[in-house]
Amino acid sequence: MENRGTRPMIWKPLLSVFILALVSYLVYYGSRRIESQPVHQALSFLFGTVYFCTIFFGPLYIYTYGYLHGLSLPGRIVTSSLIPFLWMTKDVIQLTESHPFLECLYWYLNPLSVWMVCLLAIEMGAGTLLGRAILKRRGQPIKVVSVGPVAAIVIGGLVFGGIFAWGQGENLFSIYLDGYRLLFGSGV
Amino acid sequence: MIEKTEPKPGSQIFSRRRALQLAGTSAAAGLAALLWTRTRETQGSHPGKASSRRVEGTLSPVRSRQQVPGNSPNIIFILGDNHNAETMGCAGHPFIQTPGLDRLASEGLLFKNTFNTTSLCSPSRASILTGAYAHHHGVKNNHTPWTGQMTSFLEYLSLGGYATAFIGKWHMPGEGLPEMPLLDLFVSYTYREGQGAYFNCPMIVNGQEVPSRTAYISEEITDYAIEFMQENLAQGEENRRPFCIYLSHRAGHPPFQSPEGIAGMYEDADVEGILPDQVDPWWYGKSNGNVFQGVMMGSYYNQYRRYCETLTAMDRDIVRLLEFVDQEGLRDNTVVIYMGDNGMQWGTHDCHGIREPYEESIKLPFIVRAPWLIADPGERRQQMALNLDIAPTMLDFAGLSTPEDMDGESLVPFLTDPGTQGREHFLLEFWRYFPENTPSYRGLRTERYKFIEFERGRQPWLFDLQEDPREQTNLYGTAAGEQIVPALMSMMETYDS
Repeated sequence: MENRGTRPMIWKPLLSVFILALVSYLVYYGSRRIESQPVHQALSFLFGTVYFCTIFFGPLYIYTYGYLHGLSLPGRIVTSSLIPFLWMTKDVIQLTESHPFLECLYWYLNPLSVWMVCLLAIEMGAGTLLGRAILKRRGQPIKVVSVGPVAAIVIGGLVFGGIFAWGQGENLFSIYLDGYRLLFGSGV
Repeated sequence: MIEKTEPKPGSQIFSRRRALQLAGTSAAAGLAALLWTRTRETQGSHPGKASSRRVEGTLSPVRSRQQVPGNSPNIIFILGDNHNAETMGCAGHPFIQTPGLDRLASEGLLFKNTFNTTSLCSPSRASILTGAYAHHHGVKNNHTPWTGQMTSFLEYLSLGGYATAFIGKWHMPGEGLPEMPLLDLFVSYTYREGQGAYFNCPMIVNGQEVPSRTAYISEEITDYAIEFMQENLAQGEENRRPFCIYLSHRAGHPPFQSPEGIAGMYEDADVEGILPDQVDPWWYGKSNGNVFQGVMMGSYYNQYRRYCETLTAMDRDIVRLLEFVDQEGLRDNTVVIYMGDNGMQWGTHDCHGIREPYEESIKLPFIVRAPWLIADPGERRQQMALNLDIAPTMLDFAGLSTPEDMDGESLVPFLTDPGTQGREHFLLEFWRYFPENTPSYRGLRTERYKFIEFERGRQPWLFDLQEDPREQTNLYGTAAGEQIVPALMSMMETYDS
């Protein structure tokens, strides 16, 4: 690892991913108001793709960057999870239009979040391997593959795929709703 | 073509149920009195109706089984799921193939202005069964349990001498399925929140779990319906009771899957001209919270194609059912009704789903075929009909009066006389349903206006449906709106009593 003294530099990738996500979000949704159908379709494809890539794959970039710059494991986990967390928080805030705040907090536990956590685990494992490979290429004597990151990739992948195979997430969603009813009844 | 005539699983269950029914028959008078007492608990006028056919006073709403005349019609009520009212060949859809529904519409009547009163699965289903608004029957959202406190029209028909069957999707919350001992056959499922599965869905037949007999669920439940009719007919003309089958499909609900021969049939269908311009195929199903609407995977356009395929798959079994009715000579003495529980928005108003009070969500497909009543088959009716009119309509077909606790009214007069005056307005109500982002609301729809007040988070809506049928301009807060709102609010107040 290098540059242990530049931990604040993690804000650079974090901010760049956030700005990219924000801009693509605004253009993606804004494009729905464009009269010209070809322009709307082109913009929605381009910026929708960028938007979801920043959410789903931005963590890989941030985690790897943090690894290369010597950020601690907890620091890497927190910073790489921040964009997906903000994405979920946006949905929670939107949900407060209809539901009480406490119930909206329960939204964080939905199956999509579980999938997101699995994806993050895979990306953190991959980010570690990628970071090590880069450092090795730069001449550092480092072992690229180890149990920890591989386990994160395998377990994350298995849980992710397992949930999908088990009713495309519908069964987990049923359990999620059972939990809601246990805590809040019917809500009305 | 009827191919499957295997014996039903657990014939002993049917015997036990029949025994229960016979016991029930001997107690019919007592139950009738009980039900009559229940119906008397809710008295008073029902707003929004041009006329009331409700019988008040001394008449019991149910008759003893012995009084049923030999010519009472059979009834087949078919319920679709999330079926957008325009997504039928007979409604002018550009590519969907629905020969069964088209046939029903050509031999019967298509009601063009039929609505649910709560745009969500469980409340709408409860309204269909009980003839009551959701604030009345109590199933307010998909988390609120069915209590059975109100009597379903199937139970009234059982007490009135009908052989009754509920077959298919129940989908009302509660611990498993409710006890409905008055029904001759109760086939449903509780799998995945009661949503079931398109393939190999485990069924519950009169309280006992049995494996799926036919892979695809529309075929499976249609088989049960045909077998129920076969069993009924086997009893002979003198012994058999008229039957009522409530056949409740899953088709139209995500994740959309169709059987062989139908899956992929709309692969090349042009959906771009059907779905609104603001919809994009790549990311629309993954944005705006739509991921919980079952359209996350793949292209949104393809999701729409798959949706249409499930409806065509259901229609194939409706064709099969109608062929059986023809084959057995039942056509002229059997009412066949098709209705959806909700409509469906596919991107209109930037919404996907069933819960927003836009026309696409609240408008239902509704077709009635009753050859001996309808003098102008193939015509359309424009009067406003509701999901909660089904129960009183069923009772009317059976010659039974409408209980006082039903809010709906019989639609039979609309069948016989196209000039019958319809209701002037009805109540729209919705209770928030986690995790979907629509606030609780209450509103009114008249023939011309729609007015919605939200519990929180949104300004009220006021649309002039005559001038603005696509609901693009909210008149609330405008000078024109201010002139209209007081009258609409005063109409809404009539429902408070």
